[in-house]
Parts: sequence; structure tokens; C-alpha cells
Amino acid sequence: MLETYRGKYFHPRTQFITIDNSGNVLESDNVLFLLKKGDEIGTISPFFEGLSTYFEVDEDNDIKFTCIHLENKDKKEYTCDIEFKTFASDQPTLIIIHDFSDHYEYYQEVAQSRNESVINSQVLELQNKYLKEKEDFKNTFIANFSHELRNPLTGITAFCSVLQKTDMSLEQQDYVEVIQTSGDHLRNMIGDILEVSKIEVGKLTLNEELFNFHELIQMLEFTYSVKAKQKNIELVIDFDDKIPKYIEGDKTRFKQVFENLIGNALKFTSSGKVTFSIKENQRRARKANINISVQDTGIGIPSEKLDEVFKSFTQLNNSKKYSGTGLGLSIVKGLVELMDGKITVESKENVGSIFRININLKYPINQENNSLEKKSDIEGEKSLSKEKYNVLLAEDSELIQMSVLKILAQEGNFFLDMITNGEDAIESIIHNEYDLILMDIRMPGTHGDELTKMIRSLPIQNCKTIPILALTANLYDTDKKRYKKMGMTDIIEKPFDEKTLLKKIYKHLK
Amino acid sequence: MKKASKKIILLGHFGVGKSSLIRQFVENTFTSDYKVTIGVHILKKEVEISSDETVSLIIWDLEGYDDIKKTRASYLLGTHGFIYVFDVTRPATFENLKDDITYLTDQYANTPLKVVGNKIDLVTKTYLKENKDMFGVAPDFFTSAKTGDKVNDIFIALAKELVK
Repeated sequence: MLETYRGKYFHPRTQFITIDNSGNVLESDNVLFLLKKGDEIGTISPFFEGLSTYFEVDEDNDIKFTCIHLENKDKKEYTCDIEFKTFASDQPTLIIIHDFSDHYEYYQEVAQSRNESVINSQVLELQNKYLKEKEDFKNTFIANFSHELRNPLTGITAFCSVLQKTDMSLEQQDYVEVIQTSGDHLRNMIGDILEVSKIEVGKLTLNEELFNFHELIQMLEFTYSVKAKQKNIELVIDFDDKIPKYIEGDKTRFKQVFENLIGNALKFTSSGKVTFSIKENQRRARKANINISVQDTGIGIPSEKLDEVFKSFTQLNNSKKYSGTGLGLSIVKGLVELMDGKITVESKENVGSIFRININLKYPINQENNSLEKKSDIEGEKSLSKEKYNVLLAEDSELIQMSVLKILAQEGNFFLDMITNGEDAIESIIHNEYDLILMDIRMPGTHGDELTKMIRSLPIQNCKTIPILALTANLYDTDKKRYKKMGMTDIIEKPFDEKTLLKKIYKHLK
Repeated sequence: MKKASKKIILLGHFGVGKSSLIRQFVENTFTSDYKVTIGVHILKKEVEISSDETVSLIIWDLEGYDDIKKTRASYLLGTHGFIYVFDVTRPATFENLKDDITYLTDQYANTPLKVVGNKIDLVTKTYLKENKDMFGVAPDFFTSAKTGDKVNDIFIALAKELVK
């Protein structure tokens, strides 16, 4: 019976071939490849060509080759292990071909999957590296570019303020006004570019502070009612009084989101109304879920372009009538998402648009908190205790030096010393008693933040406490943290105007 | 007409395009579908190196390894020449290029060797120029199995060297 089964199910997979010294077939059992006596063994595959050169045929040799791909005359493929045996006793060379196609087919599948996975992960790693390099380049470029722009812009803004206080004809006053407005516009655009760059690299963080949400909405209503009136548009504020008065969040960023949406709505609406609606949905675990919408009766957005409204540098309406960088809505989306909210838009061309935000507002249980109002009152009441203050300005830009000098000279409350590098700053501080230091960050030699650290460690009494205010355009959160860590008291953002500079200086003078 | 038969071997990491280079050279075809080579495929092509001399190249397309020392010794028996291939876009395939070439030249001192940077269709000329030091060894050829760029040149240059 066994022999019957063997005859039915056993398929021999091994071929035996003998060849002479010239590689011609002497005998073959033709199990896999059909060969006749006298055939060159090389007709099976180029693998067999030149075999005799591998070893001495008149010695005992046994060489094994694994996983060799061969093909018969009918184009059937085999994956085989091949053995060569030569004999010193003048016997012919023996070739044994073992067909392991099934086994190697499985191995091939495993290798395919393994190699593809390794290659894909390497390619992915490279792509990520490339994207990171590209992103880093973009951000460094933006940071440097904006820094270079901010210094001259400070000069323009500061000198406009100074110029406005001189005797000028009405015509000249108009010209200065134009310069001032253009400077402000340019400053806002640079600010937008930096914001987008910060959001895209995840470097923008939100401040958690307690603020009066109702007051923010009232302030927006007041500001934008005036603007709407100028355009003969009705501004409707539909505010749900049930919303908690005090909430915890980033007031500046909330304001920025609302201002962008309302500002856009007014910009693209020439008649009709803009409705700003804030409604509470529900409260759970000290969070109020709020629906906010800004609806206009403006030009609307074509349906095919709706997907693009939140992309950076996208200006759907290219006419010169509507200026801007195309970054506002991209920033809004970035900020809303950073606050764990969601923003959507619906629009119909020539009918209007509606932007909807759904967001959770964190609020304190005790809503009777009036410490905020008290705090601002105290700040306003601060008065000066000395007649003249000694201020040191460490700044290498002549334009900034002149701007600060002019602004402080007009006030009449200051003696100003100016130095242009870090080394002179230390010398100057040792020999003079200053009430406040204005410190540029990017100075030749030692940078301003490093210099602050050195000043704080000087063995002079007031060096530990003297207010040191950074003058800088580098305002990434990591920069701000570093300035604080190095001992800087506050930051004055470049470009600054007269009002901002004086406000900060007076705030820190005792 | 003089005629010689020479065995050459293609070495290098997996996925660098060894099989594609051979297919382009022997059959003038290319496919972007990646099929892993296991073991060895052997192909043959005659190359005319002068008006009165041809070389029959027996080309062994070996399975790719990340370590050249893992290559089965029996495959290397009787080899007349090597082509070492790496992928210019994938650093893992040329991280050890210098060591691998030193190993080959030490172990097979008299066997001609060509170093080939493949897949140049995926990078710019500027990339190659700026990053040539990154490879560790100056390649003899930069090729594209996809476009066929410089593919024949490798085999012809090696064939000529083999019959010198």
C-alpha cells in the first residue's frame, strides 16, 4: 500500500547530473531539467558557466550553493540549492540540484515585507528630517527678517510721534499721519507673519489669566460700532448674559480672534449688517460650552474656495479694494484650535458669510471676583518719587538710540547714558547708579540677555533689583522665558512707539 | 573575434536598485515595483568592447545585505569583478560605504571594483555636488536605472578592465 501511495503522491524534487571536465553532460535523471548526453551544462543557466574555474576537478571537492534561481525550457522557474562534487578518483563531476521553490517562495514573502517596512521607515525619517530642516529655515528666516524690519520701523514710528509734537502746518500734519498709519499697518503685517510662523511650529502658547469676558465684549461693541457706523452698516451684538462674567483664558488671543472676524465681516460688507452672537450651550465641570458666530451680509465666498479660507497667505479676493496679508483667518483658526475649539464657515456668494466657533470657556466658581478692577486702579495711581531718573540705554542701532533720546528728552524726567556694546555696559554700571536699564538683545559681542545675567551677579547693591527692560523683536515664547530666566524685568517689543516706551519705563520706576 | 567569459557580482544594501540596473542593462526595461531578491539571479549579456573583442558577462545579482561580510562565500567563488551599488537618497545604504570598499579591496585586491550611486533621478545635480563628501567614497558612476542614465557605461567600463 505504501508503495502505491508513494507512486501517487511522491514527486521527486532532486536531479542528479554527471558531467565531464569540459562541462558536457554524461548522465542525467531529468527530474527537473531535460538534458541529453553531450549537452553543455551551461544551457540550463549561465550559473553553470565557468564552473570548472572554481575548483580543481581532479580533487575531492564538495561545494554547496543555496537559493539559486533557475528556469527550464518551458520558462518554469525553480529556486534551488545546488551541490558540486568532484572526485580525486577520476570519477566524473556530480551535480545535485534540489528544488526548494516552495520554501524559498515563503522566505521571499517574509523578506519582501521586512525590506519594504525598513525602506519605508527610512524614507519617512528622511522626509521628516527634510520637512524639519525646511521649517527651521523658514522660521529662522522669518525671525531674522522681522528683526531686521523692526529696527527701522521703530525709527519711523518713534519719530512720527516726536514730529507730531513740533510746529507743523496742517498739510505737514496730514503727511505725518499717513506715515504713522503706514508704519502701523506694516507693523501689524509683520506681527501677523510672526504669529503664523509661531502657530505652525507649535511655539505659540496661551496665557492662562482670569479676565472679565463681559467687559471684553462691551469693549469690542464700542470699538466696532463706531467703525460700522462709519460704513453705514448695522452692528448687532447678541450676547447671552448667562455666560460667566469671569473666565480663565488668554484675553489677548480671544480679543484677537474676535477682532479678526468682526474686522473681516465689516471689511467685506458694504451694506446691511454684521451680527456678533455669543450664546451659552451648557455647563459642565467648570466649563461653559459657547457658540460664537460672526455673520455678515457681504460679498460672500465662492463655494469652491471655502476650503482655502483658513490657509496661510490666501486672499480670495485679489482686488485692491480689500488689502491684507491673507493671514488673519489662518491665525484665527490656529488660535481657536490651540484653545481646543473648532471653527467652521458657511457662505454664499453675494449673500454673506457666517463663521461659527464652538469653544469651552473655563470659569471660576466664585464669580464675585473684583480683584481685577482693583489691580488696574492701583497701577494707574502710581506716581513718580524722584525728580530725575538715570537711565542707561545699551543699544547698537543709532536709529533706536536717537528715537529713545528724543522721546526721553521731551519728558524732561531723565538723564540718559548710551553705550553700544556689552563690555561698556558693565563698566558704566560699576561707575554710575542707574534707576533703569533699557537693553537691546542682539548687540555685537555679548548679547543683552547674557549681559543681564552678568549685571545681576555684580557685587553692587542695586544690580539685583534694578529694572532691566529688553528691547527686542525676538518674541517667541522660548525667548521670553530665557529673558526672564536671565533676570530681565520686562520686555518692550520692537517696533515701539513713544506711548509704549514711556508706559513701560514709568511702570518700573519707583 | 576574441571572446571572453567573465563573472561579475553586484553587491550592496537591499532596495538600492541592483536588479533594476541589471534589467535595464540586459533588457532595457524598468519597473518601479520593488521585488526583493532572495539568493541569486544570474543573467548573461555579451558586450562588444572593441571591433574584434567581445566579453560575455555572467552577471550575479545578489540578495542585498546591510553587512557585506554576510554575503555567502560560495557566491563569490571565481568572481572577476564587483559592482557595489548604493542609493544616493538613502543614507543607510552608504553609511558604511567606506568600510565596505576597504573590506572588498583588502579581500579581493586584484579584482576590479566599480562603485555606483544609483537613483539619481530622485535628486538634483546640485544635491550630488554639494553632498559628494557625504558618501565617504567618490563613486565611479552616478546612475539611474529608471532613466538608464550611465547604466551601460558601468558594465562596459568594467568589462574593458576585466580583459586588460
